[in-house]
Amino acid sequence: MNFAPRYLGRGSWLARRDPRVLVIAVVCFVLAAIQVWDLRIMLILDLIAFAYYRTARIPFRQVRRQWMLAILFVSLLVFANGIIASGRIQRLPEGVEPHIYGYIPLLGTPVSAESLTFALVQFLRFLSLIAVGFPIAFAIAPDVFGVTFARLGVPYRFAYAIDLTWRFIPSLAEDFRSTIDAQRVRGMDFTGQSRNPVARVRRQIPVLVPTIVNAIAGAEDTIDAMDLRGFGTGERTWFQDLVLDRTDKLVLIGFGSLLVVATIGGLVTSSSVLWVPDAILPR
Amino acid sequence: MTSMSMPRSMWTVDSRTIVYAAIGAALYGVLVGLFKIPVPGTTAVDARPAFALVPFFGFAFGPVVGLFTGLVGNMIGDQISGWGALTSYNWSIANGVVGLLAGLAPAYLGSMMSGSLGRRAAAGAVGGAIAVVIGFLVVFSDMIKDQMDFNAVLTTEYIPVVIGDLIVTIILVPVLVYAWEPVKERLGR
Repeated sequence: MNFAPRYLGRGSWLARRDPRVLVIAVVCFVLAAIQVWDLRIMLILDLIAFAYYRTARIPFRQVRRQWMLAILFVSLLVFANGIIASGRIQRLPEGVEPHIYGYIPLLGTPVSAESLTFALVQFLRFLSLIAVGFPIAFAIAPDVFGVTFARLGVPYRFAYAIDLTWRFIPSLAEDFRSTIDAQRVRGMDFTGQSRNPVARVRRQIPVLVPTIVNAIAGAEDTIDAMDLRGFGTGERTWFQDLVLDRTDKLVLIGFGSLLVVATIGGLVTSSSVLWVPDAILPR
Repeated sequence: MTSMSMPRSMWTVDSRTIVYAAIGAALYGVLVGLFKIPVPGTTAVDARPAFALVPFFGFAFGPVVGLFTGLVGNMIGDQISGWGALTSYNWSIANGVVGLLAGLAPAYLGSMMSGSLGRRAAAGAVGGAIAVVIGFLVVFSDMIKDQMDFNAVLTTEYIPVVIGDLIVTIILVPVLVYAWEPVKERLGR
């Protein structure tokens, strides 16, 4: 269990960007991607997302587990939606009837060219969002989170809270490990396999409660330190100064344009309705 | 000489609010992915004990802390797990709304809040449960964001998450209130 924010993209092209670029890029990309239901455009968005991800040079070995979990979860979500929606497909062009291949045994859910395309677009969209989002955790230096959000217009108190949150993570994770070890020494058995969820939740109490209460009680030192330095009495200054260079501006213009094009395209073209390749339509 | 302190508004954002919010978000972000307890007889219902942090921090420290703990904590948990902080931003908002509503419990559970420690612990469970049921209605925005079917959101998202989170809220929030209140008294807060 390693919860320390890992700066895996250190030195990469993306890590050298102003960290605000990484945050704004994700926001623009998410808002653009959720408007697109045309498979061809979604494939282009995936290409953009993975090209962007590659510039962060995050070693795959280090994030393999995260990718596996994310892909597994997306697959389950898309599959469950396909099953439970019982063949109802959103974003079908007007007047188009689903081209049904057959029905799932027992459930009777129709499987059609349109439902498969819909599921594929959903899957690709989630993958692209994950690829664009990854660099926020791994290609932004942990010590600039506060100033990043402050310069993005987040009130400085909350920007400072975000900064503190990242800083607390490693020490709280360590406290949590120590609590588990301490309870094991006292004979706590965490391996009991009762099927009763209430009993299993209650079994976590000896670990969760001391970890949480100790963390809160230990916060007094931090609060006192902040009070003694006059936190909240005036606008805070930050050590780091963020300046957008020419490349940063070009990246921002690129992602901003993507959002504008996706929005206008959704209004005046068919990019926001499902497009089904002819090749998969049953003859 | 006598000293007087102004009553602290539940919307105050001072150093105490900031630090408790940061601790709540960090703890939630770290712990949320660790413990998942499947609920028998269901396919996708997990009780996540760490979720109790959201209603507890809201209830104990106010709506601003609850909102931050749920919103930022869920984003951090998603980011650490690889899902991405903004991939399911509406779920983070839902978590934040749960913390916010739990923090407003003193406004709608007035009589329970002023009683004994046992009554306040029960108020934590009731306030948290109400917050969970209402707060997670935000996930129905998946119908717009991901074009998901209403029944799919209801049966694979809303009901599972509410059942799992109600279990941990009702069990753990009173325990946390019982554990925290004496410490709070000792610290003079």
